[in-house]
Amino acid sequence: MALGATLKRLTRFDRYLVLSLALLVSASFLLLWGRQSGSRIVVDADNRTVFTAPLDDARHFEIEGPLGTTRMEIADGAVRVLSSPCPQKICIGLGDARRAGDLLACVPNRIVVRIEGEKEGEAYDLLSR
Amino acid sequence: MISSAVDPVQLEEVRKRVFLALFIALAVALHAVEYLLPSPLPWFRFGLANILTLTALFLYGVRAAWVVTLCRILIGSLLLGTLFSPAFLLSMSGGILATLLMTSSFRFFRPRIGPVGVSVLGALGHASGQLLIAWLLIVRHPSIWLMLPFFLLFSLISGIINGLAADMLLEFLLKHPAFSRLKNSCRFSVENNDTGSL
Repeated sequence: MALGATLKRLTRFDRYLVLSLALLVSASFLLLWGRQSGSRIVVDADNRTVFTAPLDDARHFEIEGPLGTTRMEIADGAVRVLSSPCPQKICIGLGDARRAGDLLACVPNRIVVRIEGEKEGEAYDLLSR
Repeated sequence: MISSAVDPVQLEEVRKRVFLALFIALAVALHAVEYLLPSPLPWFRFGLANILTLTALFLYGVRAAWVVTLCRILIGSLLLGTLFSPAFLLSMSGGILATLLMTSSFRFFRPRIGPVGVSVLGALGHASGQLLIAWLLIVRHPSIWLMLPFFLLFSLISGIINGLAADMLLEFLLKHPAFSRLKNSCRFSVENNDTGSL
């Protein structure tokens, strides 16, 4: 009943404000739609790029971080984390990354994997440091 | 309740200080409980402490709101052990942007805007401020902005909830004699449904 009174007290300005902001937020979701499919992954350990690979070929690889080894695989045009020494395993829970701009990260182990699209061309197909 | 032996202006000043201290304590408590709650999405917080910031804003004005927010963030981080950590920077940046938006919208739109509107703006500002600092200092890649829509949606909902809670709290508080003098100066719309406190 206090809630009912409160809702009645909402001014017109408030209602319009919330409505227009809700529209804005929904519109921002459209930005997520038009993204091209990825072609390459770039792996950064500790903010330094240590590994890139194309998304087409299936492969397993491991990246070393301060906590240990994070194992990842590329399969079916997507990259995912298989195992990681972090406590919460959020990186594994993030699932697949396949479109340009998608991001996977294991923050405790300081590893970030991003997908780059067609346009950002590079001279080499695979880079390992 | 009203002491006739004390200068009313002074009394009001003291009351304000005491209540702001109470608000800060409550805000810190809410902040701590939220932080300690386990959640699958660690960065999505309701920000219930903002309810107290809103209450301070509508009761005592812009400066009071800043005091409550900054003290809440500092003391809360100190208590939780995150002072000066990256999480603290995120909290601070979100809090500052949120309070900026809240106080400016309060100042410019006051009769027409209410706690819910101010709260929603604050919540969205909080999320944006956090993402901004996360982008500039931690992740450094534009991909992080892909999370913006989800953060914004969550902030919108929690902003509405916080605003409604603050409105209910304000309505409840203003009925108490301790706040009787503020009735006319603070609220966007005042329903004088009790006959007064004296």
